[in-house]
Amino acid sequence: MILRPNDISGPVKESADVCIIGSGCGGGASAKILSEAGKKVIVLEEGGNFTHNDFDMTEQTAYTNLYQQRAGQATDDLSVTVLQGKCVGGSSTVNWTTSLRTPEFVLDAWKKNFGVKDLSADDLEPYFDRIEKYLNVHIEPEENHNPNNRIILNGAKKLGYHARATGRNTNGCVKSGACGLGCPFDAKLSVDVTYIPDAVKAGALIFPNFRADKIEVSENRKHVRGTILDQTTRTPRYEFDIEAPIVIVAASAIHSPVLLLKSGIANSSGHVGKHLTFHLTSAVVGIFDEVIYPAGGIPQSAMCDEFLNKNGDGGGFWIEAVPVYPALAALSLPGFGEEHHAMMKKFINIGASIVLVKEIDSEGEVAVNSYGRPSISYSTGIKDRAYMKEGVNTAAKIHFAAGAKKVMTLHTTPTIFSSPSEIERQLENAQWGANEITMFSAHPLGTCRMGEDVRKSVVNSRCESHDVPGLFVIDGSVTPTSLGVNPQITILAIAEKNAERIAEHYR
Amino acid sequence: MKFRPSRRKFLKQTLAGTAALSAAQFIPITALAARNDVPGSLLFFSHHEFRIIRAVAESMIGLHGASSEPLHPHDVALRADQFLADAEPEIQEQFHLLLVVFNSPIFTFVFDFQLKSFLDMSKSERDAYLRGWMTSIFTFRRTAFQGLKRLCMSMYYTDSRSWNEIHYSGMFLPEDRQ
Ligand SMILES: Cc1cc2nc3c(=O)[nH]c(=O)nc-3n(C[C@H](O)[C@H](O)[C@H](O)COP(=O)(O)OP(=O)(O)OC[C@H]3O[C@@H](n4cnc5c(N)ncnc54)[C@H](O)[C@@H]3O)c2cc1C
Ligand code: SF4
Repeated sequence: MILRPNDISGPVKESADVCIIGSGCGGGASAKILSEAGKKVIVLEEGGNFTHNDFDMTEQTAYTNLYQQRAGQATDDLSVTVLQGKCVGGSSTVNWTTSLRTPEFVLDAWKKNFGVKDLSADDLEPYFDRIEKYLNVHIEPEENHNPNNRIILNGAKKLGYHARATGRNTNGCVKSGACGLGCPFDAKLSVDVTYIPDAVKAGALIFPNFRADKIEVSENRKHVRGTILDQTTRTPRYEFDIEAPIVIVAASAIHSPVLLLKSGIANSSGHVGKHLTFHLTSAVVGIFDEVIYPAGGIPQSAMCDEFLNKNGDGGGFWIEAVPVYPALAALSLPGFGEEHHAMMKKFINIGASIVLVKEIDSEGEVAVNSYGRPSISYSTGIKDRAYMKEGVNTAAKIHFAAGAKKVMTLHTTPTIFSSPSEIERQLENAQWGANEITMFSAHPLGTCRMGEDVRKSVVNSRCESHDVPGLFVIDGSVTPTSLGVNPQITILAIAEKNAERIAEHYR
Repeated sequence: MKFRPSRRKFLKQTLAGTAALSAAQFIPITALAARNDVPGSLLFFSHHEFRIIRAVAESMIGLHGASSEPLHPHDVALRADQFLADAEPEIQEQFHLLLVVFNSPIFTFVFDFQLKSFLDMSKSERDAYLRGWMTSIFTFRRTAFQGLKRLCMSMYYTDSRSWNEIHYSGMFLPEDRQ
């Protein structure tokens, strides 16, 4: 059952076998496995419950209802915008459907450097297989790539770089382009239309608009206390108290550490909130003679994967298409005023590709600000900055090879190339510091990392706190390093595997 | 039953939905003269702050305040007022502080050697002043610029009245939109 706002007329006090905080990839998958194993599961979700009828494909509605801080969440210095969902289904409700397995070299590094057990490529293979089947992960046929994705496929091919179609978790996609604004056709097989309904079928209770504020631990019981919010005004209505022997924190890599830090638990290692990775992202924008219309068609269906771990140092970058909507374009395009306005008037002729760097020497931190909310900081390392520069350079070349007449970066001071020969020199002179180039992240990870050394990690390989038995963190926080690929399949696989282990262990 | 409209019907419904939303949240098109006045009841800004943000919106978006433009800077500032009224307290606090620093002649002197508030500057002086914040060697000035840019751009471009001039007509590729 999914609780509706009208079902609540006072404070809520409940108990369960398992209380899960957050209903995204980590929380949703755990809820399904555990409720199907016969556990009484309650899922608390700070955001509201919205369905296809609520998704009107506008940025205004989507940002207001579905995103953390109305899509304005960012590092404290505003240098990196951190996009995350806040609704039933979490970020999966607004994600772009790219579905990729964790690279083997990443899983090997987790084992070697962090002692992570039972999460090798072989261990995860049956989970990847099962998830891909459940979510109908498939490659789009050639004719389904929109012009924005074709830039990557055609441009990379001309330059001899490896590029390919990505897997997508959809069924009956009508190519609207609205994945990032909530799929109004229920074609995107996100957590809100797959794991959550199946968990409900198996008896799970989903409590939308329930924000967990604190976890209290005593003996073998745990209480999750928090605030019930009004779905529209977001103002507090009542308080709640859920008691359960097992608590799974699945509030995402930004919000899980905040909850643990506020609760003063699970941090004997001092690593809660540390080691934040972003899969640091910037973009290039090409101006074409033909209409690209970057808002329409399948938003993300192709990538250039030539440069990930190419040097064997575990770093590198990846290039993907990015859907562009008017406000997103306006925020990203460089400069301001009439020049900026003139660029916006070319909206339908722009194509955009993102460059995502798998960090090896950059790191951030999530702390708690004086209002009890996340304070996010991040600093870029020399190696990653070099990869970003190489990635922007490569993406610009791909755009020219695909027919762009001009290509620009997202540097604050407009950096515009009229031919490939200008790229190198201009990028050499460009500034790469905070707020000198627009950066994003839609893949924050790593803030409660897993490992077997209690001094260097927050949870063990089963995602259980080293300090508090029965307290688990199962979401993007637990990855010990940046992944280099889009994370939803990795998080779902870790969640399914570890939820199964919880069901077995706590019979 | 599942809601599965045809693409065409869906687009119409979406636009109708957006219009309904607009009616609730957008500011009525006011007469130009009235747009130069500060509205009586503001939710977040003081009257003085409202004037600053209206001037920032004009420069930031590249508007001239002409009647032919889809949105007047006044409308952008009114939307920003509504938006910030619902923002997190730390963001509200930072914006009040930012506007004091941004407009104060003391700071314009410190940063740009001119003893004029932003509101008293000419259009070209305002552009140069904003450029100074955008490219400053001080991180906090670049951060502040980003904050103002985000606010103005998102208030302008999430408003469907601005979409015509950029030829944006909703989701779907143009060929799918019969
Ligand atoms: C725009 C966008 C596009 C993306 N595209 C892709 C893609 O194409 N492919 C891909 O693999 N990945 C993509 N991702 C990333 C992917 O969706 C996320 O990595 C994944 O969903 C993270 O799962 P999670 O469980 O860690 O957190 P989330 O899915 O973010 O879920 C966390 C949930 O916890 C809730 N919560 C937070 N705090 C509390 C609290 N105190 N109390 C109660 N609830 C709380 C939040 O509201 C949220 O719903 C994208 C993300 C975004 C934002
Ligand atoms: S592109 Fe496909 S999956 Fe994405 S919102 Fe549109 S119909 Fe849904």
